[in-house]
Amino acid sequence: MPDNVLEVHNAEKIYGEGETAVTALQNITFTVKKGEFILIVGSSGSGKSTLLNMIGLLDRPTQGSILVDGVDTSTLDDNHLSSFRNSKLGFIFQFSNLLSDLTVLENVLLPRKIQGTVDGAAQEARTLLKTVGLESQMHKFANKISGGQAQRVAITRALINKPAIVLADEPTGNLDSISAETTVHLLKSLNRKLNQTFIIVTHDRPQFGEVDKIVTIKDGRIVEGELETSLR
Amino acid sequence: MDYRAQIGIRFITRRKGSLIAASLAVAIAILVVQVNSVIFQGLYNAIVRDQINYRYGHVYITRNEDYITKSDFMLINWLERIPWVQAAAPRLDSVAQINSTVNGQLIHDYNVQVTGIDPNYDERASTLYQTVGSGQYVSFRNSIVLGAMVDRDLGYPQVGDSVKLKFIDQFGNNVLRRFTIVGITQTAGSQGVDSGVIIDIDTLREILNRPHETGSILVRLNDPTKADDVKQLFLSAFPSNDDKFKAQTIEESAETTLSGFRSGIALINLVGYFGMMSSAFAVVTIQMMQVSSKTRDIGVMRAIGAKRKDVLLVFIFQGMVIGAIGAGLGTVMGVGYTEYAKETHMTFQGSLALEVQYNWMGIIQTDIMAFILAIIASIYPAFKATKLEPVEAMRFA
Repeated sequence: MPDNVLEVHNAEKIYGEGETAVTALQNITFTVKKGEFILIVGSSGSGKSTLLNMIGLLDRPTQGSILVDGVDTSTLDDNHLSSFRNSKLGFIFQFSNLLSDLTVLENVLLPRKIQGTVDGAAQEARTLLKTVGLESQMHKFANKISGGQAQRVAITRALINKPAIVLADEPTGNLDSISAETTVHLLKSLNRKLNQTFIIVTHDRPQFGEVDKIVTIKDGRIVEGELETSLR
Repeated sequence: MDYRAQIGIRFITRRKGSLIAASLAVAIAILVVQVNSVIFQGLYNAIVRDQINYRYGHVYITRNEDYITKSDFMLINWLERIPWVQAAAPRLDSVAQINSTVNGQLIHDYNVQVTGIDPNYDERASTLYQTVGSGQYVSFRNSIVLGAMVDRDLGYPQVGDSVKLKFIDQFGNNVLRRFTIVGITQTAGSQGVDSGVIIDIDTLREILNRPHETGSILVRLNDPTKADDVKQLFLSAFPSNDDKFKAQTIEESAETTLSGFRSGIALINLVGYFGMMSSAFAVVTIQMMQVSSKTRDIGVMRAIGAKRKDVLLVFIFQGMVIGAIGAGLGTVMGVGYTEYAKETHMTFQGSLALEVQYNWMGIIQTDIMAFILAIIASIYPAFKATKLEPVEAMRFA
């Protein structure tokens, strides 16, 4: 097992070509160790979500390489990339993005079903839902629960496959202050309890309190001196 | 259950409007094919039924290019010993010029088809006698039953009036004979002898100077499926070159009438299947709307690891649900319509009673075709769904 669950080397992302080309990210290099709780911060349009998409293998860098759990992801084709995302990464989106036509339990089980490892999955999902306090809601359709509950379901869904990294894009951005606080508390407790690596994009740095590392992005670059800042 | 099937089923069943619209499109297409089948296949069957009842029987025996010279009595006795044969009857056909005087006015001559029948045999082998609406069937030597169209053309002479017919016998001599009208025959769809006349076969033999000769023998079976067996039995029993017998099943004897009709049915069915194609376009449209409304979900699925083929399968399963529900609904509607047509003895344009039968093989074929078409119609929208990139899908949803 490598020490670093994530290595980003000189990643660059350019949209468009020629005169219309826009550089969204450049010279992005950093590493994440297993069990770390990382924040990626920056102002709107700084490129933090683009970086998260590249780490999440939803987008490919124009240059540079991204290694997840020791695997150079640039060598993976579309199908392998999908399988890799499924097994190594968990996603929490700003709007929870649950499938409204599925129940809470079915949403949580979806990554396992995609993976094809459903044996015992239902019990694991129930246990996780109990951890986040939603055991009683598991048979409700996803559009019948509150925003805060939906975000906790999304967290459970992100964890069901025991990924190497959980990526969260503004996980509290759409929540009221109480729900946001609950969510932050939950993420941090899961980080400690499960030694689960979290990389979180946020514009609200103070909300997360002490973390292992903060990556500050400004105009598509990591701001020097900010990378190794540790607040924990 | 496969998760792609589960999601596909949920996507469509929780959008009741889309499901109902798409399923109805499929169901109505099946219903159109079913209605076509009930009406036109029913019409075809009705024509076959009436051709059997009035003209040819289940097996029709003639002699190649000549009259049957063997005794009709002997032949009928031989035929009626076959267990599947209900009855047989001789017929002799000719043409004559007919005229009538109504209210002192001569209705000018014109040619009519003359059918000579033996009343004793004919009433057992044919239902032509049941078509005589007013009066009675041919009962004595100079009695005549007029077809309704002939009656009309002659100015509506009544039962008891007389008509004159001019024949040419086998030696070319004119033979003029007066007949007393005993009945008027009329059939639905003019499938009987509406444009001809019916007289006694022995009278016609005498007029044509063809004693003991017969034009044809129609054979009615109590088991119509044995028509080929009866035909083969007869031909093997009378193989002589001198006899030159020709035996035909109804499909062969009425071929001229039926072949054109079959082409018409094929054309109507084609129109029905084109209707089914248009229902496929409705399915494509609804599926495209489904893909559009599910863009975010597709993006999420892709983000958490679903492959493009998984997304494809979700919408293919959705098409299968539409096809299955549409086919089921269409079958229920189609069978309901068939039952209605059967129970109400539906007629074609108010005359010919349709011979409605359940064509289960046809129903199953149509269902399978509609089901497959709904799946095919889902392929393009499903393919479009697979082209969505997760980030874009979630961003623009």
